[in-house]
Amino acid sequence: MLDLLPQFLLNGIIYGALLAVPAVGFSAMFSVLRFPNFSVASQATVGAFAGYAANVWLGWPILLAVVAAFLVSAVIGVIVDEVALRPLRKHGALTTAIASIAGVVVLENVVRFIFGNDMRGYDLPLVRDLRFWDLRIGPQQINNLLIALGIMAVIFAVLRFTRIGKAMRAVADNPGLAELKGIDSIQIGRLAVFFGMGIVGTGGLLLGLGNSIDPMLGFRFFLPIFAAAVVGGLGSTPGAVLGAMVVGIGEEASLLLLSPAYKSAVGFLFIVIVLSFRPRGILGERAY
Amino acid sequence: MTKFIPNRRAVLAGMAATLATPAILRASGAPIKLATLTPMTGVGGSYGPSMRDVMIGVVKEVNEAGGVLGREIEVISDDTQTSPEAAVRAARKLIDVDGVSAIMGTWASSITTAVAPLAWESKTMLLCTSGSDTITLLPHKGYVVRTQPGSILQTTVAATDLSKKGYKSVVWMGPQSPFAEVSIETYKNIFEAAGAKFSSMIYEADKATYRSEVDTALRDKPDMIVFGGYATDSTVLLRDLWQASYEGTISAQGYAVNQGVIDSLPAEVTNGVITTAPAPALGSTGFARASEILGVEAADPYSAQCYDHVNLVLLAMAKAGETSGEAVRDHLRDVSQGEGMKVSSALEGLKHISEGVNYEGASGACTFNDKGDVTEMTMLYSEIKDKKPVSIDL
Repeated sequence: MLDLLPQFLLNGIIYGALLAVPAVGFSAMFSVLRFPNFSVASQATVGAFAGYAANVWLGWPILLAVVAAFLVSAVIGVIVDEVALRPLRKHGALTTAIASIAGVVVLENVVRFIFGNDMRGYDLPLVRDLRFWDLRIGPQQINNLLIALGIMAVIFAVLRFTRIGKAMRAVADNPGLAELKGIDSIQIGRLAVFFGMGIVGTGGLLLGLGNSIDPMLGFRFFLPIFAAAVVGGLGSTPGAVLGAMVVGIGEEASLLLLSPAYKSAVGFLFIVIVLSFRPRGILGERAY
Repeated sequence: MTKFIPNRRAVLAGMAATLATPAILRASGAPIKLATLTPMTGVGGSYGPSMRDVMIGVVKEVNEAGGVLGREIEVISDDTQTSPEAAVRAARKLIDVDGVSAIMGTWASSITTAVAPLAWESKTMLLCTSGSDTITLLPHKGYVVRTQPGSILQTTVAATDLSKKGYKSVVWMGPQSPFAEVSIETYKNIFEAAGAKFSSMIYEADKATYRSEVDTALRDKPDMIVFGGYATDSTVLLRDLWQASYEGTISAQGYAVNQGVIDSLPAEVTNGVITTAPAPALGSTGFARASEILGVEAADPYSAQCYDHVNLVLLAMAKAGETSGEAVRDHLRDVSQGEGMKVSSALEGLKHISEGVNYEGASGACTFNDKGDVTEMTMLYSEIKDKKPVSIDL
């Protein structure tokens, strides 16, 4: 069985990279707004279906579908936030987080209303895996990995080098001080939701590219996404990537020791272990 | 105090109005309440709507013809969300608030298992489309019957037929479910007796990818892989196996590789997959009628079963002369089997109910044993060719 370890590690890296995209979006929003926005579960679905509509209904190539997924989920994310979540923020993170769970149900059913319950697939040619040494990898997986890496590079550059990024980091670090410096925290919060949900939607599309999509797509992946963000350190972008890798590789490599029936338990085992020893997560700076 | 004294003109006008009203509005008494409890959302969400619609369609026809025992039938529909917890909540509401005498159409064994105790404790009849053998072993006091053949019967028939094709190495892959252990045990016994190597893998349902599971399964170089899961998992597995260049046979239950799965994947991925399904009574009057109600060429097996559920309940009520869950339980077999006149719908059967009827429906003969299992089944084998299942003989 040990001969399968390199293949399991490769599978884990690819799965981890896919989880990293929505986990980064989730974590970025948390760092600015300080509440876990659980509606990412259905925003991933919204992104996957927006990409589907662009790709299959309009015949756009996948890269344009990625843009559509980003924009649609970003705009819907801002609308949901403005209408339902922002007015509740003054009542505390817990109230807002619970309202965001209600958002999951509403959005999922809107998708179901428009697209129905059936599974759908993107208009993509399916290609056999490439084989090298004793490993195999799908060309689509390589594409997904590249898209995921590209998105993460853009996020990193935006946060690091642009004024908006700096302002977002400032609000994340100390909202009071940022406000004193003339940064409009409401506007920055809005931008964080726009970018965060856009990234989550793109992540949903990437998760859907590897298989079929249905209205439950995002809900199914929410737990590993959440696990990745928590393990890496809520609020930390590199942390979300690292956490996603830990969860992705951990789940796949667990097959060496455990029945595949217990895969998800591994993600939670990591949460328990990491939080027991380091409550702020691997790269998290604050313990929330 | 003024007293209302009807004069002759008022009485005549009233009588005329009564005669002009449709038959059902003249029916006396409160409506008979029946429930459909199908998966409208969740993994079974693609089956539920037509299961519900066919039942409502039958009731509409019967209502238009005057109802049962002179009473209108009211259908209350709810959604199991393909989740046992949600199904139990819905069933509680149907039983406690609506007071239905029968719940029809529960799908997936975990859901029927969760709902069944509520049914027998409240003396409500439960008709399900679930195949797990454990269901009819529950102490249900006769309140549960199923139109889906039990899984031992189904898997034994399928495994026996498939084993004749001479496969050398077989892997069973599926998630944990009440159906899994029975299925693995049956396949193992039959294939090992036929000289094949057999192994099984229980994986976690609803994962994004099963690449590592596929890598593990392919170590045994199987020439047949049997799927034991539902549609969402099958889609991922089919794609992963194709990408891994697996060339052997794949066999799956019809619901695991259904038209939705086939439509969402390229033809080369699904070509050659063999599906097994308890055959509805293709070519029967009942099956044609169920398909006609749904406006489709051929009703799916679950909708065919639901067509039978509602017809059986209505006939049993008519036979009993009352509408309680207990009455349905006690008289279901009087109308589903025996020497009576063969009928394929309640509409037809209600006219002959006093002479005795034997209902044969859209899903089959509907002959039940004491446990509530159907005793006869025909297995339908199909091979997927260019995105269409084509019937084959094994």
